[in-house]
Amino acid sequence: MDYDLTVSDRIQRLREKREWYNNGHLRLNTERTNIITKYYKEHEAQYPILKRAGFLYEWCATREIFIEDEDILLGGSGPRMRTINFMIEAINQWIPQSFGDTDEIFKAAWQTPGCVWVDDEERSDLISAAEYWKDRDILSHIRGFMPDFVYDHPGNGVSSPARERSFRLPQGHFVANFEKAVKVGFGAVRRQAMEKLAEVENNLTHENARSHAFYRAVIKLCDGAVLMSRRYAKGCRDKAAVTSDPKRKAELLKMAESLDWIMENPARTLWEGLQVILFYQYIISADGQQHGQSIANVDRYVGDLLDKELAEGTITRAEAQELFDAFILRIGDLIAMFAPPDNQELIKLNREGRSLFNTLGTTHTISGGIHITIGGLKPDGSSGYNTASELLLLSFRRLVVPDPSVCIRVNEHTPDIIWKIAIESSKLAGGIPQFDNDEVIIRSLVERGIPIEDAREYGIIGCVEPTIPGKEWPCCGSTGSFGGITLIAALNLCIHGNKNPMTGAEGWLPCKKLYEYESFEELLSEYERQVKFYVDFEQKIFQFFEVAYSEFFPCLSASVMMDGCMESGKDVTWGGAKYNAFGVMTNTIANTADSLMTIKKLCFDWKKVSLRELYDALCVNWEGYENLRQMILNEVPHYGNDDPEVDELARWCSDVYADNLMSYKGPRDCAMAAGSLTLTANVSIGKATCATPDGRRAGEPMADAISPRQGMVENGPVSYVKSAAKLSHHKFGNGNQLNIRFDPRSVEGDEGTWKLRELIQAYFDLGGLQLQFNVVATQELRKAQKDPIAYKDLIVRIAGFSTYFVHMTPDVQEDFISRAEQFV
Amino acid sequence: MIENVTGRIYDIQGFSVHDGPGIRTTVFTKGCPLHCLWCHSPESQYDRFELSFLPVKCVGKEKCGGLCLKACPNGSVTETNPEESLIDHSMVTKVSIDREKCAICLKCANVCPSKALSPTGYTITVEEAFARVNKDRFFFKKEGGVTISGGEPMQQFAFTLNLAKKCKANGINVCLDTTGFAPEEQLLQILPYVDLFLYDIKHMDSKKHESFTAAPNERILKNAALLADNGGALQIRVPVIPKLNADRENLIRTAEFCKSLGSAVKLVQLLPYHAMGKSKYTRMGLSYKLKNVDPPDDLTMKQTLEMFTSLGLSAKIR
Repeated sequence: MDYDLTVSDRIQRLREKREWYNNGHLRLNTERTNIITKYYKEHEAQYPILKRAGFLYEWCATREIFIEDEDILLGGSGPRMRTINFMIEAINQWIPQSFGDTDEIFKAAWQTPGCVWVDDEERSDLISAAEYWKDRDILSHIRGFMPDFVYDHPGNGVSSPARERSFRLPQGHFVANFEKAVKVGFGAVRRQAMEKLAEVENNLTHENARSHAFYRAVIKLCDGAVLMSRRYAKGCRDKAAVTSDPKRKAELLKMAESLDWIMENPARTLWEGLQVILFYQYIISADGQQHGQSIANVDRYVGDLLDKELAEGTITRAEAQELFDAFILRIGDLIAMFAPPDNQELIKLNREGRSLFNTLGTTHTISGGIHITIGGLKPDGSSGYNTASELLLLSFRRLVVPDPSVCIRVNEHTPDIIWKIAIESSKLAGGIPQFDNDEVIIRSLVERGIPIEDAREYGIIGCVEPTIPGKEWPCCGSTGSFGGITLIAALNLCIHGNKNPMTGAEGWLPCKKLYEYESFEELLSEYERQVKFYVDFEQKIFQFFEVAYSEFFPCLSASVMMDGCMESGKDVTWGGAKYNAFGVMTNTIANTADSLMTIKKLCFDWKKVSLRELYDALCVNWEGYENLRQMILNEVPHYGNDDPEVDELARWCSDVYADNLMSYKGPRDCAMAAGSLTLTANVSIGKATCATPDGRRAGEPMADAISPRQGMVENGPVSYVKSAAKLSHHKFGNGNQLNIRFDPRSVEGDEGTWKLRELIQAYFDLGGLQLQFNVVATQELRKAQKDPIAYKDLIVRIAGFSTYFVHMTPDVQEDFISRAEQFV
Repeated sequence: MIENVTGRIYDIQGFSVHDGPGIRTTVFTKGCPLHCLWCHSPESQYDRFELSFLPVKCVGKEKCGGLCLKACPNGSVTETNPEESLIDHSMVTKVSIDREKCAICLKCANVCPSKALSPTGYTITVEEAFARVNKDRFFFKKEGGVTISGGEPMQQFAFTLNLAKKCKANGINVCLDTTGFAPEEQLLQILPYVDLFLYDIKHMDSKKHESFTAAPNERILKNAALLADNGGALQIRVPVIPKLNADRENLIRTAEFCKSLGSAVKLVQLLPYHAMGKSKYTRMGLSYKLKNVDPPDDLTMKQTLEMFTSLGLSAKIR
């Protein structure tokens, strides 16, 4: 079982072009900003969804068409191959801050060779756009709807802390119906909408008048989508006319012919299928949904086209491979940011030669956040793997790029070659791909009400969140930011008498202090009461948020193809999709379980330490209590070592959150989905959290997602995954994540590959949901910190995304290094 | 009760990927009749528990109250120059161990809260060891299982035999990692409970063997043949150490010896020398005896592999 890693010259040129962009030629996508701002200014009173349609049509009709010499597949979300997207109607207040600074500072931050460049015209355009949007953006509209208590109550660290930031973001996090775009096309959808429009007109009611607007919006967007493709066709012909290379000329003319056909009509070839996916994704991106919108099951969308072409001999395997290579590179060109760091920090980055693009922080991640899912099952339960699955995965192995994310779906049909490529690729570049367990994920989807046939076709969004592509509006990005419940903060309230010792803020539920509890059970029930309260608080906020959001910022680009919307005449944000869900993540499971275990063992079972003494130690951040802290670290069993008692506490403390959450009906009458993911928030949550009974000092990072605590794993990976498997994974309908890092020596060669497969398989057989691993030694990471240039290609998996290690901020690097390394 | 038989071990390791086929859990026993110059587990060599000291874990006397300084009856724990604490960047005074004076009473290790000072192992019953191994059985699948390794596990014969028996009786595949330097009758006695012997051949010349490992090789070679003749399955492990045993002549003789054992040899593992055990010597206050030897290069390993495979032996590197 061998595979070819040599990429074609054209792919090599495409990679070089990317690099050229990355190294000091990246620009912000101001084109979209200008088009949307102009349209909204001129159509202030238009109904929101029609405004959305009008703007998107305008974008398709007037955006700059560019075709580069290296292009095999065409387009981009901005006027160049790679531009950084941002959503002016979502987050804009960084603009006056960043661009309103003195000329000298502005130039150092945004006009220094190597930086992400903003020219003077763009600067003034953006400042005036931000001025327009200031009181018309998402945040203002949400504020205009929300009840006061949402703002008055701090959530006290338990429910998502950065409320203001969250409300500004679009929801993102869904998978549009790419399959329909490829196989049916916008022409047929337009005809269907015309019929629906007539139906509504013939039977107009108060209820469906709004649907009339929806169908009109759909028609407008379909026209835009077809128009954009035709404009690219013309672009190809213009380019062909001035091309001297006869081969390229023929290729451009062939593309032109396809471009006149696709979008309106079903794709006929692999190239057409992939091009439709890209165009549709650009439209979604222009709609502003730039936060983890995913493409999911590409092999399913185009697998038949490939098989047909291979059978007819109109394409070779090598040609198909080149197309997938190009596809992955072009998808990776979709990059977005929420807000850049401040100018002083940018200047520092520029000086270090790192630039805005090369920085990964918790608030300004630059990534498309797009996830591609490989393989799986067909609705009848048979294998969903095909030739396209293999070639697609192989492209990731050949290219070694951190973006987009990719996962393989593991089930009994997962072919050996897929396992081999997946593990060998992941050994080389952390988390490319990650592994998802079909059995558990399908069960979790069925438990939230999805029929098994549809559940079998799930795909992954963003980082780890499962959805039914093209059929569900999953809202797993919650309010667009890191919505979630911080379990350790709930326990801290129980310890400190309803107070957050870092801020001094009081919570809503008065309770005892640690030394006042009479039994461990009493403490557990107080914890349960606190979690229950904040889950309730959090879900209320989401209910309000979703109403406000849907009124002003419907998501037409998703609705146009989504199953259910055409039938119901409703946008996805109005509840039009066939299925609906709402995901809320949790975090700090390991810290909470270890903390509870410490209290139970030391203070109740062993009676080695009094509750008062532990409380006092926590209040002074262990100052003068080092021996107690060492006793906790060295004698109390920790989650991650296959200890039944603490593992049971981990299961219990996360179930309290999951069970409570799932007892609610969410926005759009949907099922609420629990999950656990932290991205890099385990570092920022740690910074904001006082000392905890697990021996953690104030400010230190928390454990990530469902992974055990850093440095607390002593029994190796078998115990590690066994502990993790004891959580109630089927309740994590919004996904979860287990990170594991190996020393290269422990998993080298074919035998190492095989043993990793056994380990993953065993974790999944025990009921684990998802796993991703890094194979890199601590000493290598230390070297990379010292010599970032030499290690610029080192890719590691952080959370639901992979990134270049040297792009991470130092605190995130430290956290990554301290995560358990498993080796023999 | 065989379950109450105790063994002195220094570790039990899950996902032990280098100690036999599949995913294995390895029990490492203490004590070895050989003392190989390249030994990467110095803590395995002696039966007694030594004192291991890991300065990076020491929190400093300001934080713990200097418990080890007070506990030591021989004055062998001494203070070092103040340095910055990794915990909170305050200045702390850590300790060092004067190995000359240390009587290895382990009193300091018993009081050290951070386990910077710790004994190099612990006593465990067969039942406890089995329970630990059994926890991982889900991961063993077809090929994996338990590996009893050392040191030389045959040196604690009662423990090793009973643990092998217990695992075997519970359907767990058993590998025994042995130097072969053990009484014949004991090897024959344990044979029925061992699915695969991981059997080291370090040098074919007995004199050289003795100078490198402190023991001659006659017994080892004889026992290999004995196990082979009595139906034992062997995976021969050959460390490849430049300047010591990696010369052509010795390697050819080794290969020929493996060949002479016939179908009992399932696989020959060629293990390139590495110096990764060095830090353990420091922890134990010992010096690493093998100087000026580098790991063999890839070409040497490839050529060595060919030597073995050309004789029709199934062989692999690592």
